[in-house]
Amino acid sequence: MDDDVLTTLKILIIGESGVGKSSLLLRFTDDTFDPEIAATIGVDFKVKTLTVDGNKAKLAIWDTAGQERFRTLTPSYYRGAQGVILVYDVSSRNSFNRLEQWLSELETFSTKQDIVKMLVGNKIDKDKKEVDRNEGLKFARKHQMLFIEASAKTREGVQCAFEELVEKIIQTPGLWESDSQPKGVSLTDTGSAAVNSCAGYCSLV
Amino acid sequence: MAEGGEEESEVFEITDFTTASEWERFVARIEEVINEWKLANLAPGPPLRKLDQMPVTNSISREYHSVPVFVQTQQKWRRMYVGVCEGGGLRTNYDMVHLKRIPQQYNHLAGLLDVFKSKIACPLPALPPVTVSVRFTYILSDWTQSAWTQEPPDFDIPYGGNVGGAEFGKLPFGALEDPVSELHLSTTWPCLSEEMIVDNSVYSDLDPIQAPQWSVRVRMTDNPQCLLGDYLSEFVKICHSLESTDQLLGGLMLDDDEKDPSRDVSAALQRLTEPSPLPLPTISDVVSNMKTRTKFRRKEAPIGGELLNMILQFLFPDAALEGATPTEKPSKEQGGEKQDTAEYKETYRQYKSSPEGSLMYQLAMCMCVVNTNHGGLRAVAHLWQEFVLEMRYRWENNYSIPGLPEGSPDMSACLLLQKLQMLNCCIQRKTAREARMKEAAKQQASAAAAVPEKPVRGSSSDGWEVEDSDEEFFECETELEMETDENIASNSDADSAQNNTSPKGKVASNSEPSNNRTNMHKSESAMSFKDTVVFQPEGRLKQCGDLCLLDSSEPLYIPITQEPGPMTEDMLEQHAEVLAKLGTSAEGAHLRARMQSACLLSDMEAFKAANPGCKLEDFVRWYSPRDWIEEALTDETGQRVLKGELSPRMRIPGNMWCEVWESARPVPARKQKRLFDDTKEAEKVLHFLAALRPAQVALHLMPMLIHAAILRVEEEGETTPPALATMLAQIQSRASKVLRAPNMDAQKCEDLMELVRQVTLVETVIARARSLRAKFNTEKAGSEDGVRELERFVSSLLEQPEVTVIGAGRGPAGTVIHKLFATAQKAAHSYDDSDHSPSEHSAELDSCPDFPKPAGREYILRTTVPRPCPVSRPCPQRMFCTLIKEDFRLAGAFTSDTTFM
Repeated sequence: MDDDVLTTLKILIIGESGVGKSSLLLRFTDDTFDPEIAATIGVDFKVKTLTVDGNKAKLAIWDTAGQERFRTLTPSYYRGAQGVILVYDVSSRNSFNRLEQWLSELETFSTKQDIVKMLVGNKIDKDKKEVDRNEGLKFARKHQMLFIEASAKTREGVQCAFEELVEKIIQTPGLWESDSQPKGVSLTDTGSAAVNSCAGYCSLV
Repeated sequence: MAEGGEEESEVFEITDFTTASEWERFVARIEEVINEWKLANLAPGPPLRKLDQMPVTNSISREYHSVPVFVQTQQKWRRMYVGVCEGGGLRTNYDMVHLKRIPQQYNHLAGLLDVFKSKIACPLPALPPVTVSVRFTYILSDWTQSAWTQEPPDFDIPYGGNVGGAEFGKLPFGALEDPVSELHLSTTWPCLSEEMIVDNSVYSDLDPIQAPQWSVRVRMTDNPQCLLGDYLSEFVKICHSLESTDQLLGGLMLDDDEKDPSRDVSAALQRLTEPSPLPLPTISDVVSNMKTRTKFRRKEAPIGGELLNMILQFLFPDAALEGATPTEKPSKEQGGEKQDTAEYKETYRQYKSSPEGSLMYQLAMCMCVVNTNHGGLRAVAHLWQEFVLEMRYRWENNYSIPGLPEGSPDMSACLLLQKLQMLNCCIQRKTAREARMKEAAKQQASAAAAVPEKPVRGSSSDGWEVEDSDEEFFECETELEMETDENIASNSDADSAQNNTSPKGKVASNSEPSNNRTNMHKSESAMSFKDTVVFQPEGRLKQCGDLCLLDSSEPLYIPITQEPGPMTEDMLEQHAEVLAKLGTSAEGAHLRARMQSACLLSDMEAFKAANPGCKLEDFVRWYSPRDWIEEALTDETGQRVLKGELSPRMRIPGNMWCEVWESARPVPARKQKRLFDDTKEAEKVLHFLAALRPAQVALHLMPMLIHAAILRVEEEGETTPPALATMLAQIQSRASKVLRAPNMDAQKCEDLMELVRQVTLVETVIARARSLRAKFNTEKAGSEDGVRELERFVSSLLEQPEVTVIGAGRGPAGTVIHKLFATAQKAAHSYDDSDHSPSEHSAELDSCPDFPKPAGREYILRTTVPRPCPVSRPCPQRMFCTLIKEDFRLAGAFTSDTTFM
């Protein structure tokens, strides 16, 4: 691990199958888009270092399979995650309708009490749109999530989504400090942790 | 100082401080201090001149007006000061007298007034009247009538006698000694005229009951011994120990083994490897086993046999020896009751503990009690050993463990609980498996001559026998094929997962003949799909909506599938580590998918078995419906038809889904290799438990113990002052932080100790509140207002250093205090006069005053007198007098007009 990495954060990506979880991740880590990316089996894993507000954070991102049957397996990996990206497909009403179930599953299996949640409406490049942006906003507000619409294909919103999530995690006291390697670096010392007490949703676009 | 220096340099050519005397340096230092305190600008005076032998008071006051300056004189302990303050044409001299004994002539107000007046030396013919403030303080340390009520717990009876083991389920609480030691009552007359009262050597008007102001201070006992705190800190202490169970109990065990080899650990292993005798033991078997399970020599075992039995019965109520059948009881009994409420769940998650009342929770409390009362670390080691034996016994005999939340290991709970939940999962699966076997064996026996139900590969005729000796498989006809998958299947075993990183890829390598299995493969794949139609469908769960197979009109069935194995957090961590180590390359991702495809393969095989003639498209429609894309088209006849196809990603040539589909053969779940090897996992758990050092056990149990302690404090502290709520909230958040931190080292012990100290503090505060409440008898106060007033009073006493008694001697609190003093007085007198005759005695008692002699008396005498001559301005004069047993102190502040001096 780099010496100057402040902390390693565990991020999860969840959501219905085929909404583009792996594509979002690939766009974020490799800045590419592969229309023929195979359906994930179980969980996949990628790493990326990100600098937010001068803090370098190593992200261990766990990408999960969305199929119902894998849900007996994947929730084990929710453990210890500090952030979660919940993805739906704006061109699929059904993928939006299932969000509540994903959240309740997250509630059941995540071990961090104040895990930071971000809602991402993917595939805004598509002409066919079944879920309006306002609906996404409303859902995010109701569940105290961050919200953004994005497209893994056009890269719109992708980088921003991850950055915002990480920033929020770093600003949440007690969420990541205890798990990081003891390095004696405290954000409060550097003065950069202007702790944002606003727990509501934030619109990025 | 800089300023002064400049000024000086104007007067003298050279500034030379080399010859500055100690005295000059002293004055300079004082100036510095005054500057530091930012008092200098209050009264800028003339610059400092060359110092002569003037008293310090004069030289300083000339410069810094209105700043009183004091100098301590005599020995430090005497706290004697002289001082002066000058300003506005007035000078106040502060002076003190300190004696070790109270001179008789000054032991009352009259004498003190004489001193005061003589010091003032009033130039007027008649001195204006002196105003007097008086405060008498009485000490009550004999709480005869309200002695500390908490009985120290009798350690022998609840834990050693016939009383039910329920006593183990509660941590002790409370102080063993009265946490309140003294009550100081101060009675004050704030403003009296000297003419109004008489207080001399023979008589005093100053009756405390009549005093217009009362205030009370309480002195607490320093660090009173508190039970909960004691028990907890004793337990944290053992977390440091390095001794192993063998070191602690070594001799004991050896002795034991000679007597009863079946209890030997190595024998336990042997028993494992031996063919198991009967699949299910008889009840009598179990009972006798329970009775003989431990045979420590009574005298040497830290925990006596009877006590041990009680503890075990308390922990495992389902194993009651007599009466009820020792079969499985629903495990919810203890752990499950409150399980549903979210708040309840939150509490144990917060501390990463176990549900209240669950087996782990109870064990933690038992351990804490045996540690303090029955032999410390050795007792802990002993009980743990028994506990682990019981776990093994239950695993071997198919009795599920009571008092655990049902289902897979709960990763928000402590690791020990997860391990036991894991063991329970293993026991349940084993039980189910053995029941199935038995059932099948029965069927087979009854239908001995009937048509073999397995068509095609006929190798299964000896399946049952093989199964008994090799638990790896449900049914062994698929053995050969399954071996292939072993490498992929281990979703829980890090080792074999690592093996997999060498790309054997056996699922994909069907076509490469490499071992004896390939023939079979070849012939199978040669048979190809259509042949599967000859199978009777097997292992159907239910129809999948109204879907039909694409190539036939058969309904599409959801198969019965295997549940993947549960995991504990340490297993998951290992597993995740292995997955992560594969890296982020494409190959890494591919291998990762392969490692996790066991479950997919199992589902595909079950699907094929349930749906003869199916194809991948059918499977996808059930398994991943969003990968089946349907479009409404209008065909040539003008009719609208739905045309579906696999999503592009499912059509990628050679993608894992196709690959696994190709390799999957129609095998119903019950005939597949187990995805979860309960035998292996159970042994891993049992090994983990047995290998823990007693200190590690203690550390693992700490979350439950702290959790229990916090609940105990909450329970006890319900009616205590609000300040306690803040303290409790602090403890809760700290506990949450400490207990959820993953480290298990010395720092953790430190943090735990600090937590225990905080819990002890709260316990002490509660004990104080109780003690005070009992002393003031709050519950029995006459009126409702009285109760409220007393409650308020007691709360204030806990939070403030000194509390005013509303209504003084006549208020509700005052009445109680009066009574307390009177009772103590009577008691004291009856001791003293025990040799008097009864009649004399009662007379004495009647005449005995309600209050003892005051322990301390304070007087403040004030007046305003023109000094030093009759035409001077009237100046305030004041003298403060303290009269304590061995301390007589007068502190005067006498002011005179300096204008016309």
